[in-house]
Amino acid sequence: MLELLVSGFAAIFTDPLAIGMVFLGVMVGIIFGALPGLTTVAGLSMFLPVTYVMVSHVGLSMLTAIYIGGTSGGLISAILLNMPGTPASIATTFDGAPMAKKGKAGKALGIAVFASLIGTLVGVGVMIFASPVLAKLTLKFGPWEYFTVTFFALTLIASLTGKSVIKGLLSALFGMMFATIGLSPVDGTPRYTFGSLQLTSGFHLLVVLVGLYAIREVLLTASSKQEPIKVLEYKMKGVGFTLHDLAGNWINLIRSSLVGLGIGILPGIGGSTSNIIAYSVAKNSSKHPEKFGTGIPDGIIASEASNNGSIGGAMIPLLTLGIPGDGATAILLGGFMLHGMQPGPLLFQQNGDVVYSIFAAMVLGIIFMAILMWSGMRMFVQVLKVPNHILIPLIVVLCSIGAYALGNRVFDMWGLLLFGFVGLMMAKFKIPAPPFILGFILEYQLELNLRRGLEYSNGNFWDVFTRPISGTFLALTIISMVVTIINNHKASVRELKEKREGTA
Amino acid sequence: MNSDTKREVQIGIFFLVLATAYIIGTFGISTFTPFGNRGLDSRSIPQLIGLLVIILSIAHIVQVILRERQVKALLDNEHEVDPLVCDEDEVACIQLSKGTIIERIDRVFSIKLLLSFVYLILYIAAYQPVGFIISSTGFLIAESLLLVKKEERRRWRVFILLFSIGASVLIYFIFTRYLTLFLPSGILG
Repeated sequence: MLELLVSGFAAIFTDPLAIGMVFLGVMVGIIFGALPGLTTVAGLSMFLPVTYVMVSHVGLSMLTAIYIGGTSGGLISAILLNMPGTPASIATTFDGAPMAKKGKAGKALGIAVFASLIGTLVGVGVMIFASPVLAKLTLKFGPWEYFTVTFFALTLIASLTGKSVIKGLLSALFGMMFATIGLSPVDGTPRYTFGSLQLTSGFHLLVVLVGLYAIREVLLTASSKQEPIKVLEYKMKGVGFTLHDLAGNWINLIRSSLVGLGIGILPGIGGSTSNIIAYSVAKNSSKHPEKFGTGIPDGIIASEASNNGSIGGAMIPLLTLGIPGDGATAILLGGFMLHGMQPGPLLFQQNGDVVYSIFAAMVLGIIFMAILMWSGMRMFVQVLKVPNHILIPLIVVLCSIGAYALGNRVFDMWGLLLFGFVGLMMAKFKIPAPPFILGFILEYQLELNLRRGLEYSNGNFWDVFTRPISGTFLALTIISMVVTIINNHKASVRELKEKREGTA
Repeated sequence: MNSDTKREVQIGIFFLVLATAYIIGTFGISTFTPFGNRGLDSRSIPQLIGLLVIILSIAHIVQVILRERQVKALLDNEHEVDPLVCDEDEVACIQLSKGTIIERIDRVFSIKLLLSFVYLILYIAAYQPVGFIISSTGFLIAESLLLVKKEERRRWRVFILLFSIGASVLIYFIFTRYLTLFLPSGILG
């Protein structure tokens, strides 16, 4: 492992093109993260076609760099505009904006960048050392184990996102329906192709992802009320803060990074949830909880360390099992596939050199992120002033190139429009999108392994319960569903009680 | 039935209809079982998915209606009051049923959304026959002018025109020359 890690670092640090692309990726990511309404997913979608012709380790390094930059960039608008650039920075506004309003915006930005740096380092560090070990473990998985892990991930995401478990499950099954279009696994029978040759290969993952996330996102931003942006004035000397400002926050910093890491590993809930959970954990364990929300470093540190900690966390299931942790890692999964690699247990065996290069690129990305944010803040603040009416149409054009270039066919662009519409409707009817994406991605694996498992065990489904790993995952699935249903029921009863008290 | 319940019931009905059509569609899938009856065939999983969607959508409808009844019973003695929409400082409020400025603004923005969709359809339809540069220039101009505020449109007109042409040409050359991707040249071709 150490040998591969060293060669990975050598491959990135001695390649000027790779260094340049990581730098560019981080910069693009920060810009997309900082712009309210646009997220890392839109940035990744826009720059995907640029990576098509790159060597795989360079292209994928650039994409992971966008991911790192995008997660951190949200802090700029959270502090200077009191508007989270991405959902991952919602809790940063709680203390970042009040601190900025007190005339300490430079300090708030400096602390937030430092917390992001540590959070990402902790997450990526754990990822580098844990992923190969986990991948080795998953090599022992047979079809039943794969089936139950995939099933567990699907039910987990369905129950964790949104308020209703049923809607989450319906969303996942809806995604699975789209995934059944094309040739079936095992025997390659055409399904729901309606005689169309183009439908035989089904919808490409990237068409679904870019449509559902990026096109929906830009259309929603296009249709929302455009408020003139008012950026707060700030002054930042050096890194913006002193070590004295961090006094009493070192435990908070590490704990929040680990909270982010842990939540990032769970499918579907990445930085957007971890920042709020870490913030409330920090508040509950603080000696002065009443000061939270008034502009103290504790809140900024908790939020930024956790959302960046989620980066490494979300990458672990992606690399070891091929299960993406959030929208951005789902696009990365598409990026891997475009470069002829299938994330999962065999990735480390078959493409170990590329994986370790990506690890090195992520470390480089973290360094670039901190340098760029500390030294180039003024430039990023200027970008906040670029009007949406210029930016949004340009993103659509670049996303269209990405779709068209997948197979040089307009069919994929229509697919983009279709899934953009599906995404919009889902947003309108409050149906969570992450289960849909995971359902679409995992249907193939789920079906393939279920069919294989049944064939190996001569049609005996009982085997799935008797094997230790698959049995454990099935038990976990049942437990997680039961716990969620009980929690939802409790919340519903509480809501009714509150209404009753309100009318009394 | 309040609007939230209606929306949730609509979701249930949509999935119910979709799943029924989806299951009917499975009968058109040919099956191939070389190993006898040991495993599942290519129809089985879609049928299972369809069945699960039917069960869940019925459960969703039942759950939503039951909940509505519970809430209704709770508020039975209360007068049905139209929800109010107020300004930020709650100085002035208006009943939602009478239509509010907010509603009208929403309508304006949904027109923008609809037009964005129309522009996208036209853009995709023109992509191959007309070519990347012309179709993208047209799309960039139309969409930018749609999104810019009405009162600022005149000020931005020239910039949008020049930017759209410049961006389309630049993107075309970067992608075709340096990134060696194929983009349709269309009538310029």
